[in-house]
Amino acid sequence: MKFVDEFRDAELGRAVAMEIMSLVEPGRHYKLMEVCGGHTHSIYKYGIDDLLPANVELVHGPGCPVCVIPMGRVDDGIAIAHRDGVIFTCFGDMMRVPGSNGSLLDAKAAGADIRMVYSPLDALRIAKQNPDREVVFFAIGFETTAPSTALTLKRARAERLTNFSVMCSHVTIVPPLRALLESPDLRLDGFIGPGHVSTVVGARPFQFIPADYGRPVVIAGFEPLDILQAIEMILRQLAAGRCEVENQYKRVVPYEGNLRALEVMAEVFELRPHFEWRGLGFISHSGLKLSHSYADLDAEVRFSVPGVRVADPKACQCGEVLKGVIKPWECKVFGTACTPERPIGTCMVSSEGACAAYYNFGRFAREREVV
Amino acid sequence: MTVVRVDPARGLALCARQDGARETVETALVEPVAPGDRLLVHAGTALAQLEPVPAVAP
Repeated sequence: MKFVDEFRDAELGRAVAMEIMSLVEPGRHYKLMEVCGGHTHSIYKYGIDDLLPANVELVHGPGCPVCVIPMGRVDDGIAIAHRDGVIFTCFGDMMRVPGSNGSLLDAKAAGADIRMVYSPLDALRIAKQNPDREVVFFAIGFETTAPSTALTLKRARAERLTNFSVMCSHVTIVPPLRALLESPDLRLDGFIGPGHVSTVVGARPFQFIPADYGRPVVIAGFEPLDILQAIEMILRQLAAGRCEVENQYKRVVPYEGNLRALEVMAEVFELRPHFEWRGLGFISHSGLKLSHSYADLDAEVRFSVPGVRVADPKACQCGEVLKGVIKPWECKVFGTACTPERPIGTCMVSSEGACAAYYNFGRFAREREVV
Repeated sequence: MTVVRVDPARGLALCARQDGARETVETALVEPVAPGDRLLVHAGTALAQLEPVPAVAP
């Protein structure tokens, strides 16, 4: 298929891997973070790390939208879902994220009307079909998903729907990256930039990484050749002593992003003073809420929610996995108490979570190595 | 996804996935679109039109 097959070409992949081999300095250890969960998924699915020299390490970043939702937010969603007359809608992955007293899927089993949707537009359709019910959409995701929620809210406003509201848990990518760069736990040499977030925000927001922290960023697509080429481009910058933002994913990402998407987001959302991230704690100006002019469609205004901060279970090390401090298999409960069927932590829930990606694909290669 | 049919008045397009499944997609962010265009779609909204860039060896 066009745009896909040519980026899975094994021969070209091997050629790029050879190029990578020639760029690394022996004795130097390279730590590169792939920010986006989609990259983590591709890396394990296609065994990209097996093609890299031993001294090039890929570290998984915080860019999985489901993984970063804290338990307290899940509890808030469940509290709304249990209200009389409410139809609570969310993406499929979100239904399995554990709260302090079970997941949305458990709440559905207990009788709450919770429905899986593929898009906020689906939730809006449910609201139109059920005018006597309150339909709430649990909005999660980075700048990739936020425009979709924003357009749906504009549609709800234009169509004068009064039984639709949004519980907004959208987050932005730059603040957690800055927090990671400030963290003493982690020394990174470069970043594989998030391809689809960049479709919306463009390349400009990542300029602070080379400017303030002296690290290269290469925005990359999601096919194996995209990721290999991005790694090669980062290593080429490091070898030449350069550091800048480069765009490997030019077939989709324009430098300035999607201006219409940014405009609609600016109209509908405003930044929260701070937002809690699972495992990362509170990060200033990192979450979105509905702006003043859309407050009547804000589910947190319409329904009172507990809003209680709940600590992660002691056994769960999602925070360290999300910060790239430990690898999924280094977590105490990985693959034993915590599996995709019965997740304890969020990183095991979504296919973009590092733990689920590694559990589903990577562990087999590692088991072979151990044997 | 590939655009099959366009409804400019409502800002929507019927699009087909690789496996043939069809979905209504919000096109406000990438308009104008025409049947046959390839779109990057996320959560029911088209975020970009795909431009052909060949994969090249370094």
